Amino acid sequence: MKKRILSIVLTTVLCMSMIGCAKKDKPAETPAASTGESSGEAAESSGVRVCVVYTGNLGDKSYNDSCNEGAQRAVAELGIELKSLEGVTAQEWEANLLAACEGGYDLIIGSSSNLEEYMKKHASNYPDTCFAIIDTVIEGDNIQSISFAQNQGSFLAGAAAAMFTEMTDIDGVNEDVIIGWVGGMDIPVLHDFYIGYEQGAKYVNPDIKILQSFAGTWNDPLKGKELTLAQFEQGADIVMGVASTTGTGILEGAKEAGKYAIGVDLNQDGDQPGSVLTSMVKRVDNACYLTIKSVVDGTFEGGKTQYLTLADGGVSLTDFAVIKEHLGDKFPQEIVDKCNELAEKIIAGEIVVENYEGFGPQ
Amino acid sequence: MGLFENLDKIFNVSLIYATFRASTPIIYAALCAALTQQANILNIGTEGIMLVGAFTAVAVSYITGSWFFGIIAAMMGGALIAMIMAVGHIKYNSDICAIGMGINMLAIALTKFLLSVMFGTTGSFANPDIIPIPRIHFAFLENVPVLNDLLNDWCFTEWFVILFVIILQFLFYKTVWGLRLRAVGQFPMAAQTTGIHVNAVKYQAMLISGLVGGLAGAHLSLGYSTQFVENMTNNRGFMGVAAMYFGGANPVLTSVGCLLFGFSDSVGARLQAYGLPAQFVLMMPYVVTVVILAISMIIKLRAEKKRESSLITNEARG
Repeated sequence: MKKRILSIVLTTVLCMSMIGCAKKDKPAETPAASTGESSGEAAESSGVRVCVVYTGNLGDKSYNDSCNEGAQRAVAELGIELKSLEGVTAQEWEANLLAACEGGYDLIIGSSSNLEEYMKKHASNYPDTCFAIIDTVIEGDNIQSISFAQNQGSFLAGAAAAMFTEMTDIDGVNEDVIIGWVGGMDIPVLHDFYIGYEQGAKYVNPDIKILQSFAGTWNDPLKGKELTLAQFEQGADIVMGVASTTGTGILEGAKEAGKYAIGVDLNQDGDQPGSVLTSMVKRVDNACYLTIKSVVDGTFEGGKTQYLTLADGGVSLTDFAVIKEHLGDKFPQEIVDKCNELAEKIIAGEIVVENYEGFGPQ
Repeated sequence: MGLFENLDKIFNVSLIYATFRASTPIIYAALCAALTQQANILNIGTEGIMLVGAFTAVAVSYITGSWFFGIIAAMMGGALIAMIMAVGHIKYNSDICAIGMGINMLAIALTKFLLSVMFGTTGSFANPDIIPIPRIHFAFLENVPVLNDLLNDWCFTEWFVILFVIILQFLFYKTVWGLRLRAVGQFPMAAQTTGIHVNAVKYQAMLISGLVGGLAGAHLSLGYSTQFVENMTNNRGFMGVAAMYFGGANPVLTSVGCLLFGFSDSVGARLQAYGLPAQFVLMMPYVVTVVILAISMIIKLRAEKKRESSLITNEARG
């Protein structure tokens, strides 16, 4: 009797897990079908199969989601078949990349520089597959590299933070001229962010103090929150976070402490409305979409490096609209004007933003 | 930006609360593990119980709009998971480590699955409709300089953990139930001969442990932050188990171990800002874990040796 009950329970669990799996595949396909029908173009499948390997989880409202937005756009507009592989640990990243290689995809996109080592190791064994890596440069006949001038965008963010920390009439802004910066993992691309941030802040105020911390993980918002609160307790009143899912904790920390944060990658201004001054938007979505498009069009070129800058909209600050609404009369319009002015100077080459070694135009 | 002229910024009053804030989830986790450890069950599934609790708390708080129901549901969820372990371990004699690790993996996958089924998102779920556990504000402390920074606006569950440590300490060492629990853990056969239902006590310990683990999760997702993120426990359950070993399942000593973790974490967070290498600072909690475990093992071995030698002399006398 007991065994029978057990077998019934187990069978039910098995059925449920199958239903679960079936359901999970659906959302990836339905948007393709529905938008395809409504727009009426490129409705039929182009037959191109793309796999994106993430170092972290989707749902970070930041880097990974931005990349996924681009990929989903390609699904909708170009009718590609998309597979997303998420992974939290280094072992998972290599395994996922290898699984993608073996899966016979036309294009494999490595979403972050954490995958650099593994792609270097394995890409040459799969010469018929196109590879693309974002945020770093790998040499190889079948690899396209896309990197961003995050130092330029961060320069503007740093300048905005440096001006903001002196506006003591705004609630939560203290006397100390200290700003903060919290990163996810200590990897080269984050130093490229930080160098720009520091230079931007010091451009505005050479005496400014900048606190820097790394969480050591992309997936621990509580750690991000703790680091952010620690920086606030040390006198900072605005902290820029560059940390994927860890970053949701950074924004939450700012809200809880009644202080301010700067978002990253996607427009995060509305995530904790009123506590996010601006976001340094990095158009990972465009990079991802254009790479997929090049494969669909047959124009993919291996061994090439794209460098997306402030000038071509690869990076930018948001329009400050959300914080403007929350601060009302106290909103410092001069920050926006100054940032626009600095952006023009960077584009014109009057200000040269430094790069971390290995980054910058090739 | 020298380290030494900024010592006052690193070691200030707010460090005390920061330490406590970072420790609280680990204390709950450690108490969850301590409860079963007293009955000689190593609750390696603490991590999984917490994660399920964290998810349930957010889901129920979002749906009902009540943090209280969120906590209750999280405790129920934790208890349910703990009972699965209990039945597997006590009734069917499966290895607790195997089933505990199974529970941990199940919790990660199950919460990920439910997140996408119930809320249609992946990765994380944050929403203004999630009602957090309230913070307790003492109006009369507002004008008291140090105490205001120190004690105001603590989360309800942060106050409760202090009370709870005391309650458990009393329960373990001053009540009949505690005596029975420890008897079952130390020498089940002797306990049985005195008429204690060994398995019933073990089930009770697992059940309460599950309730506490669920509360630990609720504190993570509704108290410490107001969101659910995949695998948001991030090994805090395992750190709790380590702290439980340090304290030998004694609630007060265990909490001291947790506070050490929290302290190393909080000091690290401050030191990093002044140019200490991130890799070194991030290593600190784990170094502390190893050191703490080593120290507690040495103490335990010494105590055992002492006990042995006194046993021999007693036998010789007898």
